[in-house]
Amino acid sequence: MANPSVVRRFNPWRGAIFAMLLALAILFLLPTVGVLLASVKTTREIALGSLWSFPSAFYLGNFIEVLANPAVHRYFLNTLLVTVPGTLASTALGVLAGYVFAKLPFRGSNMLFLVLVAGMFFPPQVILVPLFRLFNRMGLIDTLWPVFIVHTALGIPICTLLMRNFFATVPTALREAAILEGASEWQVLTRVVLPLSLPALAVLATLQFTWIWNDFLWPLIFTQSDDKRTIMIGIVNLKGQYSVAWGVQGALSLVASLPTLFVFLFFQRYFIKGMTMGAVKG
Amino acid sequence: MERQNTVWRIALLAPPLSVFAVFVIWPLFSSFIYSLTNWNGFGSDYDFVGLDNFAKIFTDKLFMSAAINTTIWMVAAIVVPTLFGLGLALLLDGKVPGGRAFKTVFYLPICLSAVIVGQIWIWIYQPDWGLLNTVLSNITGEKMRYAWLAKPDTALGSVILAWSWQQTGLSMVIYLAGLTAIPEDLLEVCEIEGAKLWQRIVFVVLPLLTPSTVVVIALSVINSLKGFDILYIMTGGGPFNSSDTLAMHMYNESFRKYLMGYGSAISVVLFLIALTIIGIYFRQLKKVDRIYG
Repeated sequence: MANPSVVRRFNPWRGAIFAMLLALAILFLLPTVGVLLASVKTTREIALGSLWSFPSAFYLGNFIEVLANPAVHRYFLNTLLVTVPGTLASTALGVLAGYVFAKLPFRGSNMLFLVLVAGMFFPPQVILVPLFRLFNRMGLIDTLWPVFIVHTALGIPICTLLMRNFFATVPTALREAAILEGASEWQVLTRVVLPLSLPALAVLATLQFTWIWNDFLWPLIFTQSDDKRTIMIGIVNLKGQYSVAWGVQGALSLVASLPTLFVFLFFQRYFIKGMTMGAVKG
Repeated sequence: MERQNTVWRIALLAPPLSVFAVFVIWPLFSSFIYSLTNWNGFGSDYDFVGLDNFAKIFTDKLFMSAAINTTIWMVAAIVVPTLFGLGLALLLDGKVPGGRAFKTVFYLPICLSAVIVGQIWIWIYQPDWGLLNTVLSNITGEKMRYAWLAKPDTALGSVILAWSWQQTGLSMVIYLAGLTAIPEDLLEVCEIEGAKLWQRIVFVVLPLLTPSTVVVIALSVINSLKGFDILYIMTGGGPFNSSDTLAMHMYNESFRKYLMGYGSAISVVLFLIALTIIGIYFRQLKKVDRIYG
């Protein structure tokens, strides 16, 4: 495999490149490090004007306060209740549609595929008012249902796109052989194609999980009472409660980011590979 | 056989297509209908007011300033992370020591939510002890107390910087993937022929990266059109609407003033802008496909 290295080939000064990258990386990390540092300081220490310095003592009180707060438990539970089913449902629907577009194309299927994928581009504001009215009529406003449903529906384009691209790389001969052996289309999909698709599914699960977990707009619109809010809304709400306790806010931000960071680090290898597969060959 | 295939197509496509139709396509069309009404968001009745809402757009000063801000926001949100990402990818391409760690550092902000990113940058811009003012005070020797997010001149730019910090990693990853597809022999030939570093980058590497650029710009456009959360968190569109965008304006009119008819009209305009951009994008994509297939 030719693995070219544009700058390395061109450039005799590898040391300079390294120094530059190091400086940029430090600049890039500063904001996050600031939050980390704040989260292990007392409110008093921060109020004395040293948010951005090293803590004089390693203080865990902020984390204890966050983790012991029942409201935070509620936010986490609500977020899980929409994120896990939403991820599963949108991925499953994307698998179904992606399989047809990749392995059972029909006249006009490319056009249909384009229309579906175009759904990715629309600003969510466009469907906000009608959905509000629809869910209001169904009596679902201020429940978690609308958040789950909307994430499932809006996840279909990206899931279909990535699954179709992946299924296209699975040899058609495999499907034909299985069909000749008497397998039904459903068996081909679930027993032959899906087991081969674990990397693609991992990418999708990571994408959808992160996206739903981090979302702010839909729970903001569709939920109202505090015990129905998700963690990202919760952070904003709690901010008022702890308006001067920057350490608590830092700890809360950190705790709220842990699930997505964990999922990302766990699936990182698959993730970058799959992303570029979908992006560059798409 | 063919008939059986048709049965499977219908069976497999029915669930995703029906969910998509009911919760995305149908609301899309309903928005057009609501944009012709004076619905307030609660009552079951409303009147059709024709194109009044669209006429109102032209006299709405806030809409005009939001449209200008949206343009600034989109251009900056496309150009800045794309250029940063390209620069980082060029630096990281090849065997830089610690390359993996660098990539992770630059990619990490993408995993954070808009709420968290907003929160982090509010701290940086905080007037009294925020990082930016602290650093500037140390450089200039004078105590800086500038309220970056509370001043109309700097609010939008400050949010754009935070946004760029988050999005750069995404374009970097896509450019890195694009770079691995450039054959090394080609670059060697250019080097032997005496092309300078910048010549090789501008005349060989950048044109060959066109497919990646198309993807990066498409993602930036999509993400920036949706860029509502971070503005909501950091400035709420203020001060004095100086960082108000169309998405923000639409939210305010619909869910703060309960003018859902007018809000729908704004969202229809937003939709038409998106549609135009998608049209241009797909045209370019076809061209790129023809050339690079």
